[in-house]
Amino acid sequence: MAKDVKPTRKNLMAIEDRIELSERGHDTLEKKRDGLIMEFMDILDQAQDVRDQMDDRYERAQRAINMARAMEGDVSVRGAAAALKEHPEITTQSKNIMGVVVPQIESSKVKKSLDERGYGVVGTSARIDEAAEAYEELLETIILAAEVETAMKKMLTEIETTKRRVNALEFTLLPQLYENQEYIEQKLEEQEREEIFRMKKIKAKKEEEESAARAEAEEEAEDEEAEEPVTADD
Amino acid sequence: MSQEIGVVGSPDFTTGFRLAGVRQFANVPEEEKPDRLDEAVTEMFEDDGIGIVVMHDDDLDHLSRTVRRDVETSVEPVLVTLGGDSGGGALREQIKRAIGIDLMDE
Repeated sequence: MAKDVKPTRKNLMAIEDRIELSERGHDTLEKKRDGLIMEFMDILDQAQDVRDQMDDRYERAQRAINMARAMEGDVSVRGAAAALKEHPEITTQSKNIMGVVVPQIESSKVKKSLDERGYGVVGTSARIDEAAEAYEELLETIILAAEVETAMKKMLTEIETTKRRVNALEFTLLPQLYENQEYIEQKLEEQEREEIFRMKKIKAKKEEEESAARAEAEEEAEDEEAEEPVTADD
Repeated sequence: MSQEIGVVGSPDFTTGFRLAGVRQFANVPEEEKPDRLDEAVTEMFEDDGIGIVVMHDDDLDHLSRTVRRDVETSVEPVLVTLGGDSGGGALREQIKRAIGIDLMDE
């Protein structure tokens, strides 16, 4: 509140410094927010493409596994699924987009050749191979989607924080500082006016005193002049 | 550190992923989902060895409100949902809140 600050020149200077700093910070944060939103737009386009691709592949994988189930029976599909030896692994590295650390996921052993799968070639049919391949492709897209969606979540959080900071500066801190500045300036001006008024009063009083003293002195001189001839006559 | 992919859902849903080599999975039959899904998902999310959790979008409705919110906003591991109509309901909400407009509007 404006009433909490002492109206001194020192405080005014401190507030002016803070205003300058806050305005600079506000501009920088605003630029950061806009930059983040632009980066986010790029990622969003990418995310929508990935999601479309993922939906297509999921549908295809489901069709393939349903076909395998229908032809081979649920038990042999489950049996093949339980026999897998190689497992897909992911490693996460990070990338920095405007101060936001987003992951870059690298995968290994997602796509496997027939002999790497481990369920054997003789006991199973091509339907199961097709289903396995479709799901491997789906996993690849899922990994890509995970990367893009994590980046989106992190960027959104950062955008929200930056937006909140910009708003706090714009609508709370800066108005308060301006209010304080105006309050101090008005108080100082008032003090100055009071000071001038006081000086004028003092000056007027002094002049009055001086003129009174002068008048008195003149009067005395006149009296003396009037008295002197009398004494001379005596 | 290398991590794995986890799958939670009905046996029909997880089998395909197991065929692609996923070994971290939790089978929750359809009729047990309202009771057991929360627990299975929480367990999966607490495992440091899992980097991505895959679920069916419809299964999110079986989760309790807090678990659902936690998994939808989780970054490590990250949740990827399949099927369903839109994909990323919470993400959509977050976009609306952060940017101010619904960018996922088709």
